[in-house]
Formats: sequence, structure tokens, C-alpha cells
Amino acid sequence: MAAPGPADPPPASLLAVENLHVRLERGGRTRPILDGVSLALARREVLALVGEAGSGKSVLARAIVNAVPPPLRVAAGRVLFEGKDVLALGERALKSVRGNRIGFIGANPMGSLDPRLAIGEQIVHKLRSVQPGLSRAEARERVLAMMARVALPSPAARFHEAPFQFSGGMMQRVMIVDALVSEPALVIADNITQPLDVTVAAQIIRLIDSLRESLGTAFLFISSSLPVVAQIAERALVLQEGRVVEEGRVAAIAAAPREAYTRMLVARIPPIWKGVAPLPKVEGAPVLEVANAVRTYVVRRRGTFNAKNQVKAVRDVSFAVRAGENFGLVGESGCGKSTLTRLLAWLERPDGGRIAFLGRDLAALGAAEFKAMRRTFQLLLQDPYGSLPANMPVQRMIEEPLRIHGHGSADAARLAQAAMAEVGLEPELATSLPVGLSAGQRQRINIARALVLKPRLLILDETLSALDQVEQAELLELFLRLQAEHGFSYIFISHDLALVRRVCHRIAVMYLGRIVELADNATLFEAPRHPYTRALLSAMPTLEANRFPREEYLLDGEPPSPIDLPRGCAFRSRCPRAAADCAATDPRLAPFADGNAAACLHPHGGDAPARTPEAADGR
Amino acid sequence: MAETGAAAAVRPAPRGATPSRRMLRLAVSRADFRIGLAGFLLLVAIALLLPLVSPINPTKIAYQVKLLPPFPAEGWQWPHVLGTDQLGRDVFMRCLVGLRYSLLIGITTVLLMFVVGSALGLYAGFRGGWADAVIMRLTDAQLSIPMIILAITILGVSRPTVPAIILVLGLSGWPLYARVVRAVALGERTRGYVLGERVLGASDWRIMLLFVAPAILPPIAFVAVLDVARMMIYEAILGFLGLGVQPPTPTFGNVIADARKYLLNAWWIATMPGLFLLVTLTCLNLMGSALERARNAVLQGEA
Amino acid sequence: MFVLSFLLRRLAQGVLIILLVIFIIFTLLRVVPGDPARLIVGGMAPDAVVAEKAQELGLDRPIPVQFAAYLRDLVTGDFGRSFVRPKSGASFGGSAFDDQTRQERASVLDLILDTLPMTLQLAGVAIAMALAVALPLGTLGGLHPGRWPDKLALVIGSVFVSTPNFWLGIILTLFLSVKLKLLPAIGYRGFSYTLLPAIVLAVELVPFILRTLTVSVAQVMREDFIRLAPVRGLSRARTVLVHALGNSAVPLVNLLGVQLGMLLGGVVIVEFIFDYPGLGLLTINAVLQRDFPLIQGIAVFIAVMFVLINILVDLIAMSIDPRLEY
Repeated sequence: MAAPGPADPPPASLLAVENLHVRLERGGRTRPILDGVSLALARREVLALVGEAGSGKSVLARAIVNAVPPPLRVAAGRVLFEGKDVLALGERALKSVRGNRIGFIGANPMGSLDPRLAIGEQIVHKLRSVQPGLSRAEARERVLAMMARVALPSPAARFHEAPFQFSGGMMQRVMIVDALVSEPALVIADNITQPLDVTVAAQIIRLIDSLRESLGTAFLFISSSLPVVAQIAERALVLQEGRVVEEGRVAAIAAAPREAYTRMLVARIPPIWKGVAPLPKVEGAPVLEVANAVRTYVVRRRGTFNAKNQVKAVRDVSFAVRAGENFGLVGESGCGKSTLTRLLAWLERPDGGRIAFLGRDLAALGAAEFKAMRRTFQLLLQDPYGSLPANMPVQRMIEEPLRIHGHGSADAARLAQAAMAEVGLEPELATSLPVGLSAGQRQRINIARALVLKPRLLILDETLSALDQVEQAELLELFLRLQAEHGFSYIFISHDLALVRRVCHRIAVMYLGRIVELADNATLFEAPRHPYTRALLSAMPTLEANRFPREEYLLDGEPPSPIDLPRGCAFRSRCPRAAADCAATDPRLAPFADGNAAACLHPHGGDAPARTPEAADGR
Repeated sequence: MAETGAAAAVRPAPRGATPSRRMLRLAVSRADFRIGLAGFLLLVAIALLLPLVSPINPTKIAYQVKLLPPFPAEGWQWPHVLGTDQLGRDVFMRCLVGLRYSLLIGITTVLLMFVVGSALGLYAGFRGGWADAVIMRLTDAQLSIPMIILAITILGVSRPTVPAIILVLGLSGWPLYARVVRAVALGERTRGYVLGERVLGASDWRIMLLFVAPAILPPIAFVAVLDVARMMIYEAILGFLGLGVQPPTPTFGNVIADARKYLLNAWWIATMPGLFLLVTLTCLNLMGSALERARNAVLQGEA
Repeated sequence: MFVLSFLLRRLAQGVLIILLVIFIIFTLLRVVPGDPARLIVGGMAPDAVVAEKAQELGLDRPIPVQFAAYLRDLVTGDFGRSFVRPKSGASFGGSAFDDQTRQERASVLDLILDTLPMTLQLAGVAIAMALAVALPLGTLGGLHPGRWPDKLALVIGSVFVSTPNFWLGIILTLFLSVKLKLLPAIGYRGFSYTLLPAIVLAVELVPFILRTLTVSVAQVMREDFIRLAPVRGLSRARTVLVHALGNSAVPLVNLLGVQLGMLLGGVVIVEFIFDYPGLGLLTINAVLQRDFPLIQGIAVFIAVMFVLINILVDLIAMSIDPRLEY
């Protein structure tokens, strides 16, 4: 069942992969990586290739340009591109294909070019090595023209900058220039949006969509996510363990997957709007209160002897978390949520404002009082691999917090064993080292380490994002069970809007160090007031129809540097609703009649805030 | 697909080893490490045991057997396989005694450097701030006086004894360790397990001694192995300059310096001790670089 | 503008380092036994003469006062005068205490500057030799980890690093110079006298270059942009020459800064063995003669060079890799 589906190959085929086998050969053993893959791609078509990590999709991408690295080897099959078998071409003939007729964009834009050298020169070199007839000046012209087409600001200046001077999103545009500058017939885009923030990824998708229409380039669009490819591709192949298991129109696969594997893939995609039950409101006493927290980093200004810059990482943040509540904190990279996390976990102190736990200001506590208070709020980190000491047996690790807080060793051992049972760790694991444990088991150890201290609040810093779907679901279940038993509150710090939609009662959205909107789950996802919240939601890749169409809500550009924020509202440089008064007034987070709040002078929804936003700038 | 997470949790986890142990295991599996270790252990065993049982006295003068050539050459005599010197002393036995001093000084010196350097480096890297600035400027200053020049200077103007040699070499070698350890500790400061301990309420000292030190010190142990070899060379250099252990105690350095006068008619007196030292050090260096490569492999495997 | 501020910072740091060095050396030389005044006037001189000499040289003042005076002189470029060396020639000896030639003692700075070019020549030739061997071998080793060039690099590195430099000097003198008469060895009467000492120094340098290069080339070859290069249509030659070597150059340049101390240490020994009239020989003789002003002066001079060369190394590294301009 290698090439299923009645999908008739398009007439004028640009690329045809026929019965491709790639094997891993090491130490006399061979393992199939691609097992009889066939596909066909027409000129100007966008074909999606969907598969999980390890399905062989990146190997396929490299095999198409005859560049599988050892110990991988193409064992059988043909790759017909523009009528020639790429796998049979010699070095010289390959040169006219790779990087020339077939462009390539990868998943790691920051690492795709030599980090030392100017990007423009590197692309010029590449262009001239695949099209040797081109003069230096001509090549330069073409690179600059393409840089303008992908909307890189001031191309002539950025031509001379090195990769580290670009953001991830901008660098991905540079790599699009690199792939398209030779005017290829086909571009292979391997997981290109994976490392990017959701709004930046949406911008890249939009850019590629417009470029392939105007340039007439075909795309093989590879991704691990069906919703991502649904944004751009008509037709999709589903790859599982080196075999194509399903092929067809994306809409059809999404609506009615035929194969069991595809059905499971589709079923795992959480709904955002369709059939989501609203979470009940939680009315407990406040556990954590944050009032006007400020954190500013002072960094030396580059190229000066002693001048300093101020990076305003957290600006005037206030919120409260109630007992038994799940509080969500979302935002894109650089929004200040990592800094805020460190403040909440008291790994760093705020420069201004107050963080109070159970009604007591943490800054006012003495050392002994603070150590006792430490037990009641705990942080679980994102990386389950780095967060455990490698040399310590599991049970000893769970005893560690108790020993720190002065428990005897017999007492600590008893409590640690009880905690292991509670989080679902087998007692046999007690004496083993963390090496070889799965990410899920490691996070369970972390949970047990926090649990033995009997905390009131757990801060989950992307705690679930390193886990696969199954482990994620299990841990979520464990969190909710512990909450029911012990009355925990949680703060979910996450970039995963779908997760937050599922579990959080209230959600705060951060932009450039400030909470721009704080609302209950239903309001935030269904009728958000801040334009940035709407932009975030519109950028989410979904299979269901997005309530906030991109044409209307998606943002251009990238956030300004937190060193020199625009005067007035920090969001106004990207805001589609910005008006004259936004340049004068920096709006603070102000509540509406329904109890939700937004920091905006011209919020969506028409109703005015209960209080007029203060004119004072929050600095 | 039917396998649920509960089943996954029941599956016993493989009892893995710590990174340090994996590193050691990987090193031991390498041929260069085994060759180096075997050669080194053999030479050390001979150096420690043979002088105890052998009737030959390395310092006794015996003119009747003076200037005997080494083994395959015409006129050599059992048991003087490496020949004898101008006073009829056995070159091989003098090498063995030299190796004893060389090892004593090399190993003790490295221990001293390792302890002082790692402690200061750990403190500087983990605490940062003023302590870091002061310690680092100190290492800068000391590194800008070449170690061997510093040692020559101090030993040249004072009297060289074994403790003095160890102290001088050890104290001039600590900055390198301080730097290496500091660089690693600095990176470790923001690692998850350190933050995790902080959040649990552990003190800096507890984190440093219980977690950071055991995590970062074994992987840099290869530096110590390589440095034992380096210190043994320095000991020989000092001896050669007359600033090491003094004759009549034979050391590699003073034996070679002494033999320089007889180079033209008895080449082996200077050549053999050097070769002997070279072979010993090559064994050590093979072990050290095998450890380093194993460490790199383990670190990359994890990254 | 950036370079200027960088230089300012580094020079400020450098001054601090040099002050520390002066302090360390100054203190060391005064706490170890040995009376410099007696050394100058000779062992036979009566105590009164020794005391007079000590007073004349200011050696009877408290150490902090001496330190301040020394610093004041250094600022004006005065490194002091040698205790034992006369102004003319490098001869020394135990003549009578009333010998008038002793009054005309050589300036430390002159002694250093006279011998420096010889040492620079030796170091330059040694580095060139070491690079000629280690650059190709190290690169090949990094390109083929675990294969024969890598193994060869490992073996050569291990053997070379295990070779005592003074012994190698003696052996090479015996075989290349005395037996085969290929190269001259002792003293200096022309450029060819540089070669044998340079070979010994190069043997000392090669292992470090090999190790740095194999590791960094192998590391760069695993980077994404190298793996992506063939897919982007770049040739293997260009990938290796421009990208792999270019990115390995920074650790190599840094190595030079870090190993400068080792290089200088090697220079001292090698010059001593070959009686090569450079800074190293000057150093050893100064130590053996307890010529404190000269030892002090050489230490300060080396520290200054060390600071300057490390600044230079950082500037070069930055010009190779703009990311380092933090």
C-alpha cells in the first residue's frame, strides 16, 4: 500500500518521486527510513507533507535534491525533476539543480547561514555559484530586489548585516530570499514556521502565499502540523514511519480522514471555538497579588565606554490569582513573561511594585519567614531534562526539598515515597538515576518535589510544552486531580493558546512587558477587546474556521525594541486601530463593566472601560 | 497506538548512568585509553616495585662498569639494559627513581592546583559580582607571568626542595583551573536544576557543593590527567636548570643536565631518561585526550 | 567608535593587571632570602660598604616606599638599572668591590629591547613552522573524525606534547648538528641559528594547534549552515575553505592569546639550551644572578606584552567574527 489514493497525478508534472527507498546503514545493520514513497507535484502547486518527528519527512526533502548524508543511503527509486532523474545526475549537472532550480528553506533560520558573514554576500555567492554566468553586480541587484519583495526593511543596509543582527522572523525572510533568488521552479520548505512565534509564522505563511502566486513557484511544504499546512496547501500527503499513508485534498483529510493514523492526528487537534464548554468562574480568596510590578534591566550600550540602556522587561503589571484558580499568561517571545515568571518565583526581585503571597509582601519578609513562605509557592520549569540533577537517585531528589526545610531523613523518605505514589511514579524508580526516564516521568518527579512542600500555588512555566500529546494529556489530568484534592492554584505560562483555552479560568495577554488584556476564558477567546489579542488569535493555525480572519486582524512588522519604546501606547506602531491620541497617552489596564480589563484607548466591542484610562504614562 | 501513558509509566526505566560514568565508560572502550592506561600502570608498577627488590643501587658509584652502552649495542652488560653513566650507575634504575619523584611532584602539584583553582573558580562563577571580578583579575595577572618563568624565579632565588617545588608549581598553575571551572559554573548558574533548587529554598552553598560541583568537576578531570604530564615536564625542566630536586638524588632533569657533558661519547646517558619520560608521558596524554574526546562525545550526544 | 571604547575598557583592565603583576613580583623578590646589595658589591665587601650600597640604591627603605618609587619610575619609562650587568657587553663576574666599572650599570629597558628582536624572530619562525604542519593535519582531522587523519593528529599531538623541550633540544643538537652537520646549533651567527631552536618550539606548539583545530573544525562541520550548504548549491571546497576554516579561526586566534605564556616559557628554556641571545636567555641569567631589577623589569615587560597581545587577539577575533563585538 505504498501509493494509495485515486488522486490522479496532475498532467504537467514538475516533480515525480517514484518508489523511493532510503535506508540507514550503520555497523552492518540497515533500517528503512523511507519505504517506497511516491509523490507528484505540478508546476505552481503547493503540496503539503505532514508527519510527526521521525516520520522521514526531512530525509525525503534532502533526497529530492540528492543530498542524503551518510550513513543514510538511497537504496531504490527515482526522483524525476523537469524530466531528469536527480538521483542519477553527476556533480556538475546537480549544480544546476540544487539551489538553482530547487530552492530550500529549513527549520532553523538563525543557523542556516555562516554566522560571521554578511547575509547579502552569502546569497550573492550562492547565486553566482549556481548561475556562474552572472556578474557580481547583476547578482547583487537580484538579491536586493528579492529582499525588497519579501518586505525586509531597508534592504541596502541589511545586505551587509550578519545573521545575528536579525530576528528569527526576519532571518526566515532572508532564507526565503536565498531560496527564491535563483528563480527556482520548486522550493522545499521544511518546517519553516516551527521556531517562530505565532504572529510571525502567520506573516511568513502569508508572504509565501503571495510570492508563489506572483512568481509561479511550486512549493513542497513540509510540517508536523496539519493546521499549519491547511493555511497554504491544497493537497497533502501524510507520512508515517517512511510511508505515505494518506493523500488527498487538505480540506477532505481534515473533515473526513480515512486512515486510522490520520484520524488520530486530526482528533488530537484541540478545538478553539467549536463546541468548547465555558469554564466556570472561580470565586476564591486571592492567593497571589501582584501590584504594579516593574522590572528594568540595565545593560551597557554597545559601542560606548560606560553608557547604559534600560530594558523595560516588565512594566506596571498587576493581577491576582485566586485559590483554586487556573490563571493563564500568554504572549510572544520578548513580551516579558519569562521575566515575570522569575519575579513570581522570587528568583529575582521587582524594581518597583509589590508581590504579595497570602496577603504578605514578599519583600518585607525576614530570611526565616521567607524560607517558610517559599514552601507555599513553587515553580515547575519547561525543560524536563535540565531541571533534574543528573547524579541523584529519584527518591533522594524528592527528599531534597524536605531536607532543605529541615525534615529528618526518615520523615523525608516516608513523605517522598507517598509523593511518588501520588504523582504516579513506580516505587521501583526510587533508587534509579534520572538518565533514561521519559520527559513525562521527569516532570512527575518535578511535581513530586514541589508537592512534598504542600504548596498553595504552582507556577507552570511552559511545563507541558516539551511533552508529546499523550504525556501532556496525562499530566494535565494529574494537575487537575491534585487541584481537586489539595486546592492548588496554577499559573500556566504558555505560548500554547489551545492549552490555555482548555484549562485556564482567566487569562492575561502580555505585550512588551505589560498586560494588555486580562479576561475570563470565554471573553478572551470569543470577544477580546484588545487588538493585539485579536491578532494573536487570528494567527493561530486551526482546522476550524478562524473567528478572527487574518485579512482583518493580523499584524505587520515585529514588536519594537524594549529599549526604546514608542511614546504613548507601546502597541500603536503596529495597531490597526491607532489614532492620534494613542501617541500621547499610554493606556493602563482598565476594567470594564464585566470585570475584564484591557489596556487600550479604542478597544473592540464598543463599550467604554468602567474607568477612564489614566493619562499618566506608566513609567 | 493503543499503548496508553499508564502503560508507559509502568515500564521500568533503564537504569542509566550519570554523564560522568558514561564518559568514563566511553573512554575505557577506546583503544588509545587502554594502551595509555596499561603502559602507564606498568611503568608506575615497575618504578614503585623494582627498586625495592633489585640489588642495583642507583646512586652507587662503580667505575668498573662505567659508560656501558644500552642493550642492543656492542659491549652492553646484563643487567644494565639502558647502559650506565660515567660513574657506572645504572641508567634504567636512575630513570625509575626519577619517575618516582616526577610522579610524586606531578600528581601532588595537580591536586593542589585542582583544589585551589576549582574552589576559587566555582565560587567566582557561581556567585559572580565582586568575588568574580577580583578572582578573575588575579588569574589574569598570574597568567601574564609565564608559569615556568615564575617558578624559575622563585626557586632560583630561594632553595629548591620537594615541598617548595610543589607549592610553587601548584600555586602558579591554579589560574587555568579557576578559569575553566568558572566558565562552566557560570553556564550552570542558569541551568534548570540550579533554578529548581533555588525555588525549593536551597542556599547557594548547598547548591554549589551538593549539585554544581559534582556535576561539573568530573567532566573536566581530563584536564588534570593532561596536566600531570605537563607538571612532570616542568619538574624535569626545573631539574635540568638545577632548580629541582638536588643530586645525588637522580631526577630526569638533573640526570640529563649532567649527561650533557658526555653527549658525544655516551649519547645514551642523556637520551635514555628522556625517552623513558617521553614514553611515560605519552601514555598519560593518550589517556587524557581519550577522556577529553569521550567527554566531547557525551556532551554532543546530549545537546 | 566601538573599537575606541573597547580599547579604553581593555587598557584600563590591562593597567590593573600590570599593577597586580608588579605587586606580586615585587613582593616575591623581597620576601625570598638573598641580599641584593651584597650581590652588587660582591661577597668580599665589608658590611659597611654593603650598607652604603643599600642606602644608595634605596634598598634600606620600607618595601611600600620602594614600591611607590618603582612605580613612579616606571611611569616615566624608567625600568631601573641592572644590579650586575655593566653598560657595555653582557659580561659579569665576581671582581673586587671597588671596581669602578660596576658603577656603569646597564639600563634594564635597553637590555630587554636589545634582545627582544631575536626572540620575536625565533617565535615567529616557530609559529610559522607549527602552522605549516598543524593547519593541514588539524583541518583534515576535523573533517574526518575517527578516520586516519584524525588518528594521526591524535598520535602526533600526544607524542609531541610528551616531549620535554630541553631534551629534544639536546638530542636534535646531537643528531642534526653534531652528527649530520645539517644545522648550526649553539649561539647566534646568522639566521640559520634560529632554525633548530624554532623546531623545538614548534614541536611544543603543534599539539595545541592540532587539538584546537580538530575539535573546532569537527564542531563547525556539524552546524546547520554547513549541512545545508550542498542543498543550497555551494561546492564542498568553498564550504570547507571559507565557512569551516573561517569559523575555526576564532578559537585558533584565541589559542595564541591563551598559550602565549606557554610559548614564552618554552622560549626561555630553548634559548638557554641553544645559548640563543634573546629575552629568554636574558631572563634565565637574570634569575641565576639574582639581578632583581632585571627580573622585575622583564616580568613587567612580559605582562605589558601579554596585555597588548591579548587585546590584539580580541580585535582580530572580532574582525573575523562580528558577533564578538558585544
